Amino acid sequence: MLLDAVIIVLRETLEAGVLVSVLLTIANQHQLGLRWLMLAFMGGLMGAVIYARNMGLVSSWFEYVGQEVLNGLIQYSIYLCLLFICLLVSSRLSIKSRVLMCLLTLTVALALIREATEIMIFFSGFIGNSDVLSKAVTSGFIGLMIGLSVGALCYFSIMSLKRRWIRPTQIVVLALVGAGMVAQATQLLIQADWLSSVAPLWDTRNILPEASIPGQLAYAIFGYEATPTPLEAWLFLGALLSIPLAIVLWRSVSNNNKSNSAVDQEIPQ
Amino acid sequence: MAKRIRTWFKFSPSISAVGTAVVGMTLLCLATFADAATPVINIEIKGHLFYPAEVLVPANTKVKLLIHNTDSTPEEFESYELNREKVILGNTRAVVFIGPLAPGEYPFFGEFNMTTALGKVVVN
Repeated sequence: MLLDAVIIVLRETLEAGVLVSVLLTIANQHQLGLRWLMLAFMGGLMGAVIYARNMGLVSSWFEYVGQEVLNGLIQYSIYLCLLFICLLVSSRLSIKSRVLMCLLTLTVALALIREATEIMIFFSGFIGNSDVLSKAVTSGFIGLMIGLSVGALCYFSIMSLKRRWIRPTQIVVLALVGAGMVAQATQLLIQADWLSSVAPLWDTRNILPEASIPGQLAYAIFGYEATPTPLEAWLFLGALLSIPLAIVLWRSVSNNNKSNSAVDQEIPQ
Repeated sequence: MAKRIRTWFKFSPSISAVGTAVVGMTLLCLATFADAATPVINIEIKGHLFYPAEVLVPANTKVKLLIHNTDSTPEEFESYELNREKVILGNTRAVVFIGPLAPGEYPFFGEFNMTTALGKVVVN
């Protein structure tokens, strides 16, 4: 068994698995079916194939930091999608189903592009060596199954909650995942030297090492880093708080509009 | 006050365009200057090993790692301590900026060959 294959596939599946499982609970609650998920998987896998095949070209962009820039852009886009999904989930708009379905599809597709590209590139290294390739695929399958099991656990944990707790839990998890995406994307732009790097704000390597299993889980859920820079930490916090703040603002604007239209209807013509 | 703000905004497009251009040019010059001043360290990946496996870096200095993967297979440069990860295709090169770092040792590894591709950045 190739341990590298297990770990790589597991890490990537964990990150996407947690996100997809929460989005599935939302789709389930709004009775959106599974067609959107099939579309998202097809689009995401196609996107990953295109990205993997053009990785050399992308990497050479912007003086060899194109990979960081594109991955960062994908992750910032996922955050924006999650922000709008949280707004729609917490609103009572009647037209939201179609928009929600589009956003869910886009989010899963983007997450798959981000995670599946690396797996494809990893396996491409074994092409031409069928023995090692078959061992790597078998080992990768084990990693995939463990990652999917964690995703399934996450899905059923949310669905088993009392009905009134499901929506707040979905929003909290999505806000954490989204803020983690922002932190990771910011880290990538620091790596590309597009954002300046300074000394870490804190160091929690002794408490929760990133390489440990809990550390990897924390990374998958909220982009945990033991030594974040101040910029990452502040943007994480800003992205995390922006979601509940946007929901409160959205609700107050909706309520104002409703009360204004009610007053308009009461005034005789 | 509101009227004053509206008046300012009325004339602001040209002012903001000039301002943006000046700030943009300044940032570009700064970035070019900063990039020119950044030390470059070459690392080679060969036979799923890093050469050199120990990279010496001055403390509190930003450094540009120019990693050349001379293997035909891809590799991923990764370090938890440096907070860096980057896929490097076979027979291609990649740039990874690290630092400024405090003195100490920062291990890195090749995620696609994590039993052999091991190295560390030593900051003095």
